[in-house]
This record gives sequence, C-alpha cells and structure tokens, in this order.
Amino acid sequence: MYIVLVYDVGEKRVGKMLKLCRQYLNWIQNSVFEGEISEVKLKELKAKASLIMDQDTDSLIIFKSREQRWLDKEVIGLTKNDTDHFL
Amino acid sequence: MSKTYYLFNPGRLSRKDNTLKFTPIDADGNESPPKYIPVEDVSQFYVFGNLDANSALFTFLGKQNVAVHFFDYYEHYTGSFMPKDYLLAGKMQVEQTRAYLRKSARLELARTFVEGGANNMLRNLRYYHNRQRDLDLPLTAIENHISQIPLATDVAALMGTEGNIRQNYYAAFDNIINGFEMGNRTKQPPSNEVNALISLGNMLCYTACLDQIYHTQLNPTISFLHEPGTRRYSLALDIAEVFKPILVDRLVFSVLNKKQLQAKDFDINLNRCILKPHARQAFVKAWDEKLRETIQHRSLGRSVSYKHLIKLECYKLAKHILRIEPYKPFKAWW
Repeated sequence: MYIVLVYDVGEKRVGKMLKLCRQYLNWIQNSVFEGEISEVKLKELKAKASLIMDQDTDSLIIFKSREQRWLDKEVIGLTKNDTDHFL
Repeated sequence: MSKTYYLFNPGRLSRKDNTLKFTPIDADGNESPPKYIPVEDVSQFYVFGNLDANSALFTFLGKQNVAVHFFDYYEHYTGSFMPKDYLLAGKMQVEQTRAYLRKSARLELARTFVEGGANNMLRNLRYYHNRQRDLDLPLTAIENHISQIPLATDVAALMGTEGNIRQNYYAAFDNIINGFEMGNRTKQPPSNEVNALISLGNMLCYTACLDQIYHTQLNPTISFLHEPGTRRYSLALDIAEVFKPILVDRLVFSVLNKKQLQAKDFDINLNRCILKPHARQAFVKAWDEKLRETIQHRSLGRSVSYKHLIKLECYKLAKHILRIEPYKPFKAWW
C-alpha cells in the first residue's frame, strides 16, 4: 500500500520521529513522509511511533492509498525531495 | 514491495540513524544535499557511479539483506556484495550437487535450458516475421538446430548447438532493428550500438537472476549448462539463458525501434561503443519498468511480474532437483 504520513509532535521528540520515519518512508517535507509500505511494516512503524509519542499532546496521521497511481500529487513551488529510486 | 535503487551519481553511501544516507558528490568534490533512503524499502542496489562506503555500511546492509551489484565505467558487471545466505538447506545443496555429478541428469537439465532459450528466441523472430520482416532463413535454420538438441550426447556439444542457434538469431537482428547495423555479436568491448545495449541488458538480466536465486534455497555456484567455475555465480547464467530473449532482446528492439535511444546517445571511439550516461540511465529505467511489467500466468491464473517469473523459474528448478516435478523451462506464448 502507498501511504502519506504526517506528524505533529513536541519539539523534544521531533528528531526521534524523523529518524524513525526515514527508515520506512521517503521524506518529502518537514514532518511529512510518503512511500510504499507493507501491512506488516506499517504496523511495526505505528508501534514504534507510539512509543515515542506523548499520546496526550502529539498526533500522527496516516493517509492510505492502495497504490501510488491512485494518488494524485501536485506540488506548488519547490519540490523539497523527490522519491525517485534512480539516484 | 521493496525497490531496487540505482545509483548513477558518484557519492557516498553511509549508515545514519539506522537507515541509509546517500550524499552525491560532483566532479569537483562538492557535496550535494544528502538524500535519505528508507532501508526497509530497499531490496538491492545497482551501482553505476563511483561509490564511497565503509564496512559499517556493508555490515548494516548485510543485516538488512540488501545486495549491492557493481558495474564499472564500461558497464561491465564487476561483482556483487551478497549478504550471507539466509535460506540454508543442506538437502537442497546435496541434491543439486548430485544432479550436477550425474551425467545424464546434468545433460537433461542443460538441454531444457537451451530449449527454453531457443524457444523464446523463435517467439521473438516469429513476432517480427508476422510483421512483414523476412526472417524465413534464420527461422528454418534455428528450427533445424533445435531438432539437434535431443541428440547432443554431452554438454559441450550442447553448447555448440546453442552457439549456432544464437549466431542465426543475432544475424536476424539487422532485419528487425531499424536504422542500426549489428553485424557480429562482439563483447569486451562491444563494437556498435546494438552490441552495447545487448551487453548491458545481459548484465542486468544476469544480476536479476542472481538476485532471485538468492531468495531461494538453490546454490548459485552449481550450474548445469555452464561449467561451474570459480568466482562466479554460474547458475544465474543458466537461468538467464531462458530469460534473455524475452527480457533483454525485446527491450533492445523496442528502445531502438521506438527511437527512445538514437545514434547520438552513444559514444563511439576506436573500436568500442558505450552508452552516454543519460542513455544508460534511460535504458536501465526501461529495464526496471520491464521487470515490473506483469503478465497473466497461465497455470497460476493470476498476474505476475517478470521479476517474479524469474523466481518461479528458480522454484521449478528446485522442484526438479528434489524430484518433485520435472522442470519445464518458461516458454513465452505471445
């Protein structure tokens, strides 16, 4: 499945969250990630994320799509990072 | 589905925060902003540019089961970093060796590889024959050689037949590809555009096969058609034999006939021809798309990608070796 993940966590935990998400997804903007991920890996990611988060103040939102092609993406202004696998 | 990452730019790949960081470096040694690669989404790396790395990275890649394939400046395959085997099976190993040692068993397998490859070559030629290219001559010649396959008494003779088939097959290329002359098949170095593309494509096909073998319990060093040598994964050559016509040759025909690559995309000097960097990238991109293309599998009744098809071939071979089901090479039917 293809997901877009955004988080809003306290300043202290931002770094940890960033590092965690980088292992699974492509960074596209501050606190926004996207990428192909399997059911199991997403579960793993969610479990790890909830250990970092403070459930009372932080939030994490995941938008799911079955495949990348069912998702239209439009960027206005600067593309901070593209998710190409040809580097 | 984890992805294959292709590194064309020179740069430094390192382990950072338990994931991968790629820092491209330009010709003057200036670093561009780093790019983080989600390690959980990587199945393997193909490295075409210069890569800086340290052992900490390879330890990490080994743990994550990520292989790295290296190619030199002239697109020759130089070698692979393979993580340690994770699917170990003594029984498979013993049976595979036994199949190699028993002359009749080895010959039988070698035959099927040649047959499979030849059949797929015929498919390609027939496709173009039906599109008003005159390929009568190579078609009958190849059919003749195919009828010789069951008569071969040893692997060397089989290799000879295979060589004859291939010669006739390549001779037909001039008739199929518009605007390019292939002439003889030359490698190390390839002398013209078509040869250069075939060389690069074969290399990619070979590594794709190697990678799929890695995910099965087969041992990549014990082969049947090709002589198992030292320092090479010759089983990948055997399996590539079946897939080269379907994957590589068709891709070469289509990129040249659709003019995705043109004469200006190649560098010809002295007696060697190589692809210019952007052309190489374009071809590898086309290759990646090809591997992800799906077909409706007849006996499985669902669609499978070409990449997965290679793995299925490995499974079939494993079944043959364990004497569960005789191996039939994959034959294209379209």
